[in-house]
Amino acid sequence: MAFSLVLCHLFMIVYTPQSNKMRADSDGMECHVLVIGSGGAGVRAAIEASAYGDVVLVSKTIVSKGGCTPMAEGGYNAVLREEDSCEIHFEDTMKGGAFLNDPELVKILVSESPQRMDDLILWGAVFDVTDDNKVAQRPFGGQRFPRTCYAGDRTGHEMMTTLVERLDGLPVDILTETTVIDLLKEGDRVVGAFALDDKGDSIVIKADSTILATGGGTRVFDISTNSASGTGDGYAIGYRAGAELIDMEMVQFHPTGAVFPYDARGRLVTEAVRSEGGILKNTLGERFMKQYDPERMELSTRDVVARAIATEINKGRGTKNGGVFLDVTHLPREQIEAKLPVMLEQFLKFGVDIRTEPMEVAPTAHHIMGGLRITPRGETTLPGLFACGEVAGGVHGANRLGGNALAETQVFGKRAGESAGRSEKRVRNVDLRQIEGQQERLSRFLNGSVNPATVARELQLAMWEGAGIFRNANDLRSTLAMVMHLPASDLKAVSARNLSECCTIQNMCLTASLICKSALLRPESRGAHVRTDICHAWDAQTSPFAHTYISHARQGIERRSHT
Amino acid sequence: MIRLSVHVFRFDPATDTSGRIVPYTVEVNGGARVLHVLHAIHDSIDQTLSYRYCCGSGQCGSCAVRVNGEPVLACMEEARDGMVIEPLKLAVKRDLVVDLMQNLDAIAFLAPRAELVFPAKDEIDAIKPLRSCIECLCCVSVCPAMDVTNFLGPAAMRQEMRLALDPRDSRDRITDSVKDGLFTCTSCQACWKVCPKDIEIPGKAIEKLRAFANKKGLTLPRHQEVAALVKETGRSVTRIEPTFLEQVGEVLEPYGTGAPKATMGFFVGCMYNMRLPKTALDAMEVLRRNGIHIIIPKEQVCCGSPLIRTGQLDILDALKRKNIETFRSRGLNTVMTMCAGCGSTLKNDYKNPPFTIMDINEVLTKYGIEPPAHLPIRATYHDPCHLLRGQGIREQPRQLIRQVVDLVEMPAICCGSGGGVKSGMPDEAAALGKRRGEEIQKTGADIVISSCPFCEFHIAGHTDKPVKNVASVLLEGYKEKDKKSVKN
Ligand SMILES: Cc1cc2nc3c(=O)[nH]c(=O)nc-3n(C[C@H](O)[C@H](O)[C@H](O)COP(=O)(O)OP(=O)(O)OC[C@H]3O[C@@H](n4cnc5c(N)ncnc54)[C@H](O)[C@@H]3O)c2cc1C
Ligand code: SF4
Ligand code: SF4
Ligand code: FES
Repeated sequence: MAFSLVLCHLFMIVYTPQSNKMRADSDGMECHVLVIGSGGAGVRAAIEASAYGDVVLVSKTIVSKGGCTPMAEGGYNAVLREEDSCEIHFEDTMKGGAFLNDPELVKILVSESPQRMDDLILWGAVFDVTDDNKVAQRPFGGQRFPRTCYAGDRTGHEMMTTLVERLDGLPVDILTETTVIDLLKEGDRVVGAFALDDKGDSIVIKADSTILATGGGTRVFDISTNSASGTGDGYAIGYRAGAELIDMEMVQFHPTGAVFPYDARGRLVTEAVRSEGGILKNTLGERFMKQYDPERMELSTRDVVARAIATEINKGRGTKNGGVFLDVTHLPREQIEAKLPVMLEQFLKFGVDIRTEPMEVAPTAHHIMGGLRITPRGETTLPGLFACGEVAGGVHGANRLGGNALAETQVFGKRAGESAGRSEKRVRNVDLRQIEGQQERLSRFLNGSVNPATVARELQLAMWEGAGIFRNANDLRSTLAMVMHLPASDLKAVSARNLSECCTIQNMCLTASLICKSALLRPESRGAHVRTDICHAWDAQTSPFAHTYISHARQGIERRSHT
Repeated sequence: MIRLSVHVFRFDPATDTSGRIVPYTVEVNGGARVLHVLHAIHDSIDQTLSYRYCCGSGQCGSCAVRVNGEPVLACMEEARDGMVIEPLKLAVKRDLVVDLMQNLDAIAFLAPRAELVFPAKDEIDAIKPLRSCIECLCCVSVCPAMDVTNFLGPAAMRQEMRLALDPRDSRDRITDSVKDGLFTCTSCQACWKVCPKDIEIPGKAIEKLRAFANKKGLTLPRHQEVAALVKETGRSVTRIEPTFLEQVGEVLEPYGTGAPKATMGFFVGCMYNMRLPKTALDAMEVLRRNGIHIIIPKEQVCCGSPLIRTGQLDILDALKRKNIETFRSRGLNTVMTMCAGCGSTLKNDYKNPPFTIMDINEVLTKYGIEPPAHLPIRATYHDPCHLLRGQGIREQPRQLIRQVVDLVEMPAICCGSGGGVKSGMPDEAAALGKRRGEEIQKTGADIVISSCPFCEFHIAGHTDKPVKNVASVLLEGYKEKDKKSVKN
């Protein structure tokens, strides 16, 4: 069995489902800008929006501790040197993204990322510096210049700490450990959100503008690098509200996830290990990347390296634990200790001294490149709703370059915060029927019958098997059917506090279905999306296809006009 | 798969007045962490179990709990059969979830200057070791000073130091930190020892801030008096009776006719020299009886600990040089300490001394002792912070004590005498001493044994039980043995 089974316990507890209640203070909760999510994007957006009016920041987790941003290890891409240029960063990003990226968003990313880096430095970020006191940069896969700025291998944590310190000094109301379960609307317009606090009590927050910054969702796969909040809430919440999502099939499988201990499988082994000089070997001792990308070797793009490792493992050249070797033992100890302290510490805890022994790694679901369709101002297709960070789509195309996501959180976090802040103040009305609808949804959970954890497990295993690194139409269809049949509306909340869990698992199911549907919509292999059942003559540059799109109203794939 | 039986603290504020420990048996995969055990309970036995986690990889600091009493990150600590999982010692909200916000809000944030001053590499390098804090609050949960004063705590002090080092920050963090309780820290080292990121807060933040405070003239008057005394006399206390060094010769031969088991220098330290000379004399007897050849250079001076702990570093190097030269010139390979504070200072604050430093408990267990008579006494042992955490010495004194009396354990908490707190913050020291006294009372022991003059002196004021040094109790055992053999 892949997951933990419980044998016995001493007594059974009989629950009378407590119903949840509306929080007394929730009636008056109104603000100009509501930000949902406290990762790099959400906090950056809140900082910016606070210049224009009162801001409420809601997060599932404690603000400095939530999401994937504090886990980001490798770095932040910014053009900082004379010898580098935004044009090269643009080209690298487009090429890495298999030319599916929205070029306008990419232009903004590369040109504003250095300024956002300056903000971080001004606010106290402690990035590594060179001997001549410049922000140090390391090479990352798929980039022609070493432009990835870093703070050891705890870059995201450094950013998060800095951002939260900045936020501390601003008049932003923070609701921690509060889960948004849906958006509220007035006609087409998003006018706030419905949330549950850590006791399971309901809160209605009305806002002139709402920013979704809920991060990614690769927890829908069995093996994932994501934090516990990477459950795709934002995709599902946005979709249910009627927003359009693009390229949801584009899921990045990071080549190097840990395989041991099994219960912590998928934990990221940062790309910085390879950029510091780590090499990949199969059990025959072969440096196999020379068969897959002899030029870039280990520093090829993530899709290529992930497929190479998966192929080696499938061909029987993997380790007992189901991985290949990633080796840094040839590097000086001091380099490992100074540049990869988190990796060193994590592996030591798990019984491997990476200074003297190789690591074992295998691909792991890492990042969702797709997401809500946004304009350069961070507007979604719904009025009143903005999105930024991993929940938004279009910046990374079919494959994200390492270091571009952290930059994205800052560049588009600021933009969304500013746009939302500048939006007009309105009379805030919420149709009470929506709230009743939510209450009904919740009371169904209190009377439900299926253990949410079991549904989550089934979903994760099915997605890894049928919608993982190598895909085909048959498997995608059967996975989709399986996902659609999961009893997501009959989940059981044993107490009011478990209601948000049920909502989260519903969101996982919906996000998974969007991934499968979009994967079926794209009849080509492109970047991270590999369809083994389809052969085509075109390459990424000449592909006739652009974004897939999906919403309540429509779904399909855009065609490109080639000049 | 492995099967684990564990005990988990449960508490529901809606229905319970106090928590209870509930047994569970789960199956997890080999190498599973504590967090995976909690998942297994939650997913398959009781969904109401509340616990916090997010990153699952030691990076977010959400998941700290106590396992068998010790604060750890649930996502990193390997799960073990029989373990007891409890919340951190902070206000419990429910089950394993504690209130973190109050202490997180206490952590200061950078106040940027109007224009950017880009920090230089050496400044970045100085800040970095303090920056990896994931705000898990393990440190806060064990800090004794926070329990009895308004001290903002180790996590907040770490941040004040980090800001004090940053040229981008515009506030006076030194004055802030003094206001926030900088001088209430007892240097007990508990925070550092439980920190999952191994951040040496007492040495790298608190003592450094105290040194900055000293430059600003903010050192407490009582601490200044001690520094003046050391400067004048080479000693941190005044002479009120004949000192140990005045009472012994420079060379003490072991008793008996056999070859000495070892020769070592003896560093007595101010307290045993001038406040508890009798105890040091007892120790000499025990050592001689057990074949140790002792050299006691008379020109030794204060180790500097009272100055380091309080941030008064002016004459520190002179003291270090003098002590090192004193023992080096005797050609000694090993120098023995019996004061936990001196031992910790010589081991941790003296850079590469040309000899090995051993605590007396290490010496006696390493070379072995003649069995003393077993006295009909129940004793409890107080772990001196600077012995347990400063030097990692836990088992050795217990091994010695068990040979002479019955030992009853009590929790290893700070007695409040360290870090200049006894002189500078007497109320705090008394409050901590009182707690220590209560724990002693609970054990029902007849006597308290310790191995540090500060602890012995301080605890004696907070218990009605006699407080004795390990060596003195051993000596009593020998005397009893000798008495019996005379009778026979
Ligand atoms: C292990 C790891 C390493 C990475 N390393 C790098 C790297 O080196 N460089 C790089 O560029 N990128 C990296 N990435 C990717 C990058 O970290 C993420 O894409 C980025 O941090 C996402 O930021 P975000 O603000 O959009 O979301 P997150 O940081 O994930 O934050 C999401 C927030 O939303 C909250 N939330 C979610 N759902 C709800 C809800 N329903 N209600 C309320 N709040 C909610 C969460 O609590 C959280 O606070 C890495 C990712 C991972 C997982
Ligand atoms: S050394 Fe002890 S008293 Fe001082 S901050 Fe750390 S835990 Fe608190
Ligand atoms: S200093 Fe260490 S123990 Fe304290 S909060 Fe930071 S990481 Fe945790
Ligand atoms: S869950 Fe993040 S540190 Fe343990």
